Amino acid sequence: MTFLDWFAMHGPSYLDGLAQTVFVALWASLGALLLGIALTLLRLAGGHWGAAFVGGYVQVLRNIPVLLPIYLIYFGLPTLGLFWSAVVCGGIALIMQNAAFITEIFRGSIKAIDRVQFDATRSLGLSPWTTFRRVTLPQLLVYSLPALRNQAVLLLKDTSLLSVITVAEVTMQAKVLTERTASAYHAFLVAAILYLAIVALSEMAFRIAERRVRWR
Amino acid sequence: MIEIRGLRKSYGEVEVLKGANLDVAEGEVVTLIGRSGCGKTTLLRCIDLLEEYDEGEIKLDGKLLWYTSAADGSRQRLSEPVIRQMRQRMGIVFQQYNLFPHMTALENVCLGPEFSQKISTRESNEFGRELLARVGLADKVLAYPFQLSGGQQQRVAIARALAMRPRVLLLDEITSALDPELVAEVEDVIRSLLSEGIMMVLVTHAIGFAREISNKIAYVSEGRISEIGPPADVLDRSQDPTLKEFLRRLR
Amino acid sequence: MTSTLWILTQGAAVSLFLAFVGAIGGTAFALLLNVAAFSKIGLLRGFYHTYIYFARGIPLLVQALLIFYALPAFGILIGPLTAGGLVLTLYIGAMFAEVFRGGVLAIPRTLWDSTRSLGLPPASVLRKVVVPLVLRYTLPSYINVCVLTIKASSVLSVISVWELTLAAREIVERTLDVFPVMIAASCFYFVMCFSIDRLGRHVEHRLALKGFSGERP
Repeated sequence: MTFLDWFAMHGPSYLDGLAQTVFVALWASLGALLLGIALTLLRLAGGHWGAAFVGGYVQVLRNIPVLLPIYLIYFGLPTLGLFWSAVVCGGIALIMQNAAFITEIFRGSIKAIDRVQFDATRSLGLSPWTTFRRVTLPQLLVYSLPALRNQAVLLLKDTSLLSVITVAEVTMQAKVLTERTASAYHAFLVAAILYLAIVALSEMAFRIAERRVRWR
Repeated sequence: MIEIRGLRKSYGEVEVLKGANLDVAEGEVVTLIGRSGCGKTTLLRCIDLLEEYDEGEIKLDGKLLWYTSAADGSRQRLSEPVIRQMRQRMGIVFQQYNLFPHMTALENVCLGPEFSQKISTRESNEFGRELLARVGLADKVLAYPFQLSGGQQQRVAIARALAMRPRVLLLDEITSALDPELVAEVEDVIRSLLSEGIMMVLVTHAIGFAREISNKIAYVSEGRISEIGPPADVLDRSQDPTLKEFLRRLR
Repeated sequence: MTSTLWILTQGAAVSLFLAFVGAIGGTAFALLLNVAAFSKIGLLRGFYHTYIYFARGIPLLVQALLIFYALPAFGILIGPLTAGGLVLTLYIGAMFAEVFRGGVLAIPRTLWDSTRSLGLPPASVLRKVVVPLVLRYTLPSYINVCVLTIKASSVLSVISVWELTLAAREIVERTLDVFPVMIAASCFYFVMCFSIDRLGRHVEHRLALKGFSGERP
């Protein structure tokens, strides 16, 4: 049968998967962003130990494949008596991993903020927290937008890995359909097209947002 | 000698060159001046076919360059190897980023002779060293561009152009990007070339220098050469009101 | 524990081998892709951009599953390891291709003009100007993608390629000894990725001292 027929028959499964994919991507991105901000704060204000910890955290998580934290949390938490759902476990892993990359992005962006501005805030007698909140953070986010957009798309694609811990997102649905319908690759082809679509849509949405925020 | 007739060039909707004519006699130095966007750089680049022009003819020593004109008036672009040969008879120096950053000054200068003109490595090396000595950089032969000042880089670029033994040198604002104290050393090199009898077409904002070395100054305006003549005529006794305004602004 | 470590070491060796194949194959494939990317034939350029769009828009896992299930359906029977190598080559090749393409585009216009005005034949332009400059411009990004290749090899565990991640997972499912095993596997990956990164930086630094990239070191 044609792909359209196939899609019509199994559409609902894919839509469920899509909802799950988007849902996880959204809250994991948000979590990673918040964690990234927190880590950046720690690096800036936490003295030598803070900076060292953040440095170590970033190095470790950037140099291991994302599947390992996923497995570690999913299989490991129950041994500690924590029986959280697969989605939550996967989401936590994605948050931890992406926060490392976001922290690195922020590190680069902070360098881009003119030193002179910090002289100005000091001469104005602003507290470090106010400086961070009113001067550093807004510019940080604006400078980082392109890189953050990139990272968000990577996270979106990484949600496919959650299929290995039985999270019912698009890839998982495709796997199930493959077994159920004994079709060779049709399921994955449709999944691939779906990913292409949401990746393209996300990029577009980000670029529109970027254009409106920049250089106000 | 160079003969340019009826040069037209458009970028999309905008017509930049509207039928420009220019003659450069044997051994002559011509400077193109004009406001930004008047087309002087485009004209210069067209001479070496770094821009494709839409209409017009360019002749060097009586021979038509870049295109052949068919009997029905249409023109055909010559083949790449032929164009490459023609280009070797001209040298061009740009405002900046002339030199290949991964090669020494000597390697930069010898690149053309060795690989375009198929001159032996030994010969081109010798010739390259001579040229670099001529532009005052005998001790910088093995230096990389990043180790050279802006003025030195421009001098190497001139040497590189000269290494091809060109009939004409095209110079596109070669001192505009330099710190003021480095301009003189480059101008000195250009001066030293005047006795060689090599044709030169310059685009520059340095009016004083242009007055000193040019046989003719051409004022480019609205995509055409609207006034041309000896420096004194064009700079001091010009008729064109826009030219007078332009010169006034420069002072 | 020592038997676990031994198994993990073997897995790491396979991962390294896979990454090596992916990097070499990917580089070769990327060079081919760049011929298309800069071709005068619009169709080839279009093919390049379409391919990149697909390779970067579809998650690696889905690409792996597609190839793993599709090839037998078309009668091509290859083992998981070969399939894994193929998937990696196609995926990493796209990344290398964009790195190289970026390098070519980074060459200033006046350098192109200079090669044209010197009348250099195309072969010489490629050999003496384009390749050396692109190599210098893209070294950091190239190393980055190499590190990425090692991490990408872990995804192949899902199409039953036996490498470090699958080895670790098998041990965990057998012994339920989650934390030590996963942490050990992480250490292996960390050492591999970190070493390549450091090695790359070291090479960059040494070459910069010789005016490699044309910038002040």
